[in-house]
Amino acid sequence: MAMKFPSDEWVAAFHNAINESPEYKEGGKPWTFGVTALVVNAQPDLGINEAYGMWLDLHEGVCRESHHCTAEEAQTAPFCIFGDYARWKQVIHKELEPVKGMMQGKLKLKGNLQIIVRNVKAAQALVTCATRVPTQFLDEP
Amino acid sequence: MGGYVGKYLEVDLARGEITELPIAAEVQRKYLGGSGLAAYLFFQRGKWAADPLGPDNDLFILTGPISGTLIPGSSRFAVAARSPLTGIWGEGSAGGDFAPSLKRCGIDGIVVVGQSPKPVMLVLDEGKVELRDASELWGLDTYETTDRLRETMAGKKRPSVLSIGQAGENLVRFACIANNKHDFIGRTGMGAVMGSKRLKAVVCRGEGTVPIADPVSYKAICKSLVQMIGQAVPAQALKEMGTDSAMDLGMMIGDIPIANWSLGEDFELSNALSGPTMSETYLKRGLACYACPIACRREVEVPDGPYKTPVGPGPEYETCCSFGTMLNQKDLAGVIKSNEWCNRYGVDSITAGCTIAWAYDCFAKGLLTLEDTGGVELKFGEVDGAIAMLHKLAKREGIGDLLAEGSRGAAKKLGRGSEALTAEIKGLEIPMHDPRGSHGLALAYMTSYRGACHKAHLVEAIEHGLASYADVGLEENYEGLSSEGKAGMVRIGEDLGVPLNSLALCEFEMWCYQFDDLIRAIRAVTGWEDFSVEEYRKTGERLWLLKRCLNNLMGVTRADDRLPAKILTPLPDGAAAGLVPDEEMMLREYYEVRGLDEAGRPLSAVLEQAGLAEVGQVLHQRI
Ligand code: SF4
Repeated sequence: MAMKFPSDEWVAAFHNAINESPEYKEGGKPWTFGVTALVVNAQPDLGINEAYGMWLDLHEGVCRESHHCTAEEAQTAPFCIFGDYARWKQVIHKELEPVKGMMQGKLKLKGNLQIIVRNVKAAQALVTCATRVPTQFLDEP
Repeated sequence: MGGYVGKYLEVDLARGEITELPIAAEVQRKYLGGSGLAAYLFFQRGKWAADPLGPDNDLFILTGPISGTLIPGSSRFAVAARSPLTGIWGEGSAGGDFAPSLKRCGIDGIVVVGQSPKPVMLVLDEGKVELRDASELWGLDTYETTDRLRETMAGKKRPSVLSIGQAGENLVRFACIANNKHDFIGRTGMGAVMGSKRLKAVVCRGEGTVPIADPVSYKAICKSLVQMIGQAVPAQALKEMGTDSAMDLGMMIGDIPIANWSLGEDFELSNALSGPTMSETYLKRGLACYACPIACRREVEVPDGPYKTPVGPGPEYETCCSFGTMLNQKDLAGVIKSNEWCNRYGVDSITAGCTIAWAYDCFAKGLLTLEDTGGVELKFGEVDGAIAMLHKLAKREGIGDLLAEGSRGAAKKLGRGSEALTAEIKGLEIPMHDPRGSHGLALAYMTSYRGACHKAHLVEAIEHGLASYADVGLEENYEGLSSEGKAGMVRIGEDLGVPLNSLALCEFEMWCYQFDDLIRAIRAVTGWEDFSVEEYRKTGERLWLLKRCLNNLMGVTRADDRLPAKILTPLPDGAAAGLVPDEEMMLREYYEVRGLDEAGRPLSAVLEQAGLAEVGQVLHQRI
C-alpha cells in the first residue's frame, strides 16, 4: 500500500528501506557525521500546515533511529535540509539530485557543506532508498 | 557614458612605436570589449592567414566595459590572437588585477603588432608608456619575473605584471600568460604568441578611475550583487573548497576523466584530490581576484616530502584532474608541485596534463619507449614522470620538443596510431569534464570557437545543474546522459556565455544571480539605459557568429566539428558506462538552430540579421 508523503508511516517505511538497502549499507558506510534531518516546508494548500521534519539518525550505512520532528527540533541536528514539497517530490522521483539541489538553492542546507559534498554517494544511496518506498503524493489523486 | 575609456594602444614592436587609437561608441556597444572587441579588430585587420608565431599575428589584450569596476567578478580581461596550438581563433581570459590596473592607466586595451629584435617589456607607469629592454628577464620564470619587476618598480602602489615564462620564450604551443603569480591566460597558447614577439612582460600601474554613468544605481547594484553572492551555495562551496569543491559530485555523474579518458569511476581518486581534501591538508588560505567576494583561489603549501612546495598558488579543479585523475594518480602534493611548474614555466595546465597523459598512454601501449623519453618511465598511477616531462617540454629538450606541440601536433609527428589516443577538438585538448556524462557539453565542445572549451559558454553549469536561468527560457533540469533536445540549450548557453569573456566577468559570479541582475549592472556602468537581456543575448549570438566566421576564414569546416575517437568509445564503468553522445543528431539539430550551412559557415541571412553583413560578404566571397 502506498504511503502518504510526508507522514509518520512514510518515515518508518523509509527507515526500513534504508536498512534493507545494500546500496546504502555500502554507500553510507563513511557517514559518521550524525543526524540528518529533512524538512518539508509548510504548504497549507496541500494540507501541510506546519513544516514536517524527518529525523534520521544515520551511522555507518545504518539508520539507527528515525521519527517525525518539528522544524525547530530538526535544526538541532548537525545537518538539516529544508525544501518545498515540489522539490522533495523531484528528489524522490530522482529528478533532482539533492547535492545539486543545494547548489542551486532549491534545497537549503544547515550544516557543513564540505562534509555533504564529499559524501555524495551516501546521498545518492539515500535517494535510491526513497524511491523504493511506495509513495502517495499529496498533490496526486 | 561610462565603462570605457574609449581608446587602446597599438604597440608596434618592430618599429618601437606606440600609438593611441580610439574605440568608437557604436563599436563598444556592438562588440562589448574583451574577446568580442578583439574579434572585431582582428577581422578589420584581415590577417587571418598570418603565421601564428610570425610577425603578422597581432596580439589583443583587452578589457571590457565593467572591467575594473566594483561589480563582483569584473576583474577579468581577455587576450586573443590566432592560436599557435590550433591554428584557429585563440583566446583566453583571466582575473587577477591586470584589468583594473590597465583601466587606471587610462586605456581599455593594447594591441601588440610585429616582432621585436630583442626581448622587451611594455611599461605603463603613472601616465608614461614605454618599451624597455628586457634582456635581463629573458630566461626567468613567471614568478621570478613578477618578483623582479615588482622589486624594481617598488613604490606606493604595486604594479600589475603580465609575463611569460620559459615556455613562452621557447614557443611551446600551449604557453600561457601569467598575471602576477595567481592568474593565467591559460588556453590556446597566447604565451607563445607573446614569446614570438619577444615581449617578456607588460607592467602597469595607474591612478585613474573607471568612469561610471550612474553612480547611485551602480552603488546599489554592487551591494545587492554582493548580498546575492553571499547567500548562494555555489559561492559558499567555491569559497570553502575552491573550484575543486564538487569533484565527488563530478565522479557521481560521470564528469571526471580518468587515465586518459579510459575509466569512468573511482571515488578514492576524487576523494584524495578534491577541494575538501585540499582544505584539510595543504590549504593556507583562499584568495580573491580584485573585487570578488567569493575568493575561490587557493594558496597552498606542501611543507615537506618529495613534492615540497613553498607557500604559493594552488591548483584549481582542472589541474587536479589533468595532473591527478588523468594520470590515475592520487597524490595531491604531486599535483601541487606539477601546478607550480606549470605556473612558473608558463604553460596551460590542461593541455600540458592532457598531452602528458597521452604520452603515458602511448608508453603503456609501447608506442613510446624509455629510449624516446630519455629513460623516464611514464606509468599511470605515478606523477614523477609527468613532472619530468614538464621540465623537458618547457625547454623543448628531448621528447619535450615533441610534447611542446600539444597532443594533436605530437601525435601527428609520432604517428604509430597514437592519434587515436588524443582527445582534442580542433587541436584544443578537451577540458576536464567528460562529455560522455554530459552530452550537451559534448556538443558545446564540438561547436566552441576555440576548440574543445568549457568556458566559452554556460553549458557545463546549466547541464550539471550548478546554475539555472529560468528567466531566459532554459529548463530547470537537463539529463546529462541524453543527447535529446540539447541543440537549443547549447545555443542559448553559448549566447549567454560568450559575452562574459567580453564584459569581462567571472562565470562563477553568474552562478549566483540572474541575467536581469547583470543587465542592471551593465546599464548603471555604461549608461545604456535600454540595454536588455534580449540585446545581451543577441550580442552573444553576434560574437559567436563573428568568431565562427573567422574560423571559417582560417579553414574550419563542418568536418572539424567532431568528437575524437577516444570520446566515441564507451566507458567500462561509472555513471556514463556504455553510452556515448549522438554527435550526428546533435550536430544536425544545432546547425539548424544556429543557421549554419553544410560547409559549416553561418548563412548570409543569419549574419545580416546579426549585424555582420560585411563579415558575411567577405566569408562567402572567399570560401
Ligand atoms: S570567483 Fe574565483 S576566479 Fe572568479 S573572480 Fe572570484 S576569485 Fe577570481
